[in-house]
Amino acid sequence: MKSELKFDSLLIHGGSEPGPAGATSVPIVQSSSFAYPTAQGLEDVFRGRAIGQVYTRIGNPTTEALEKRLALLEGGGTAIATASGMAAITTAVMTVVRCGDEILASSSLFGGTFSLFRDTLSNYGITTTFVDPLDLEAVAAAINDRTRLLFVETVGNPKLDVPDIPALADIAHAAGIPIMVDSTVTSPYLATGARLKADILAYSTSKYINGTGTTIGGAIVDRGVFDWNSPKFPHFEAFHKKYRQFAFTARVRKLVHKDLGACPAPLNSFLLTEGVQTLALRMERHCSNALTLARFLAAHPKVAWVSYPGLEDSPHHEVAKKLYGTRFGGLLTFGTGDKPSAFKVIDNLAMARNLANIGDAKTLVIHPASTICADYCAEDKALMGVTEDLIRVSVGIEDPQDIVEDFTRALEAV
Amino acid sequence: MKVTINGKETALSENPARTIDSLLEELDVNQRLYVTVEFNGEVLDRTEHETTPVADGDTIEFLYFMGGGRS
Repeated sequence: MKSELKFDSLLIHGGSEPGPAGATSVPIVQSSSFAYPTAQGLEDVFRGRAIGQVYTRIGNPTTEALEKRLALLEGGGTAIATASGMAAITTAVMTVVRCGDEILASSSLFGGTFSLFRDTLSNYGITTTFVDPLDLEAVAAAINDRTRLLFVETVGNPKLDVPDIPALADIAHAAGIPIMVDSTVTSPYLATGARLKADILAYSTSKYINGTGTTIGGAIVDRGVFDWNSPKFPHFEAFHKKYRQFAFTARVRKLVHKDLGACPAPLNSFLLTEGVQTLALRMERHCSNALTLARFLAAHPKVAWVSYPGLEDSPHHEVAKKLYGTRFGGLLTFGTGDKPSAFKVIDNLAMARNLANIGDAKTLVIHPASTICADYCAEDKALMGVTEDLIRVSVGIEDPQDIVEDFTRALEAV
Repeated sequence: MKVTINGKETALSENPARTIDSLLEELDVNQRLYVTVEFNGEVLDRTEHETTPVADGDTIEFLYFMGGGRS
């Protein structure tokens, strides 16, 4: 579905239809299933002859309103909302690959996705090769005749490397495989799927889309641009025959999402339609606050190093500028030399919260090596860019002066 | 003229210029961008919507991937 509205207006109005009694917010349809007056009416929906809801695991009016908006935000296509970001990635990946297939993935993936690929999908005959997404030649060389998917993140979390996604898309397309992009860290506000040349997006809506840390959710967006009519994808043949450019969406909806059942609760879909409306305003503030804090930390004598793509001396600055303009996201990492000093900083922060999440209005910190990445061996941690002194900061939208003062006080304890 | 749309016999005004594309508009079919059209048993490519004329006796199915059933 295309729309004439610009991005910031789509955040508020995209896919909206008038609600009951003129309601302007999306109605929460808290119903498991949907009744039809005639047997024929329900048969028509099951056969795909008519549009209608059947059962909330498969579809729900509140969730559909969210899905329409998310698809519009990526520059068109279709969207499927899921219970979490990991549910979106699992569902989307299992739609593409089968036993015996291979995934080529970025080596700087978020830990949950890394674990899904290496430790879970490997049990089902799906193997993953991890490659440095900044090394385009290595990526091209790692594609073999069993590779069926290139999976990358717009910004590695917590490595904060910034791959050239459109260049990676060209490599995937030259090999006849789709590129799936997790854009959780950047959100469609920094770059749409269309701009990134992503075929499919699979991301968490729990972070910047939601914005206030109230809701777990995820989404799959099919831009309808990849040609699934290929001998590499015989399992898409029937879907392509019937649904052509939206063969992927049809296979997700009619098979994998329906079977895995990782559907969102209607209340969560509602909260996401509320949260997403302020995405543009929030992202501007996240980005400007992160740049302020990164510059402050870079100049601080007790800080050993800072990683933020917005800093001009960052090795990722040029690619980030090319893809995302003047905005570099709300995530930064820094180190104070060792784990004890990192713990001291975290323990002495008064406003920033120590927890496992990003993309909240509140400033958040975590020590990944001892928490979200604790289960990984030293070699894996190195691959993910996780050092013992690394503190990840998800910079919130508070007054920037309060954020800087919070870190100033905390660093005094080191 | 009469055609069969989604299993129902439907009377249409005589219009020799009518194509699948104009029929979708005429009937105000939901989600025109995503609908799959099966024309006399064959799935049409989206690019064929504008060039496929509709004649008396044709059988047309509009199919969606939104619903609950398996394809």
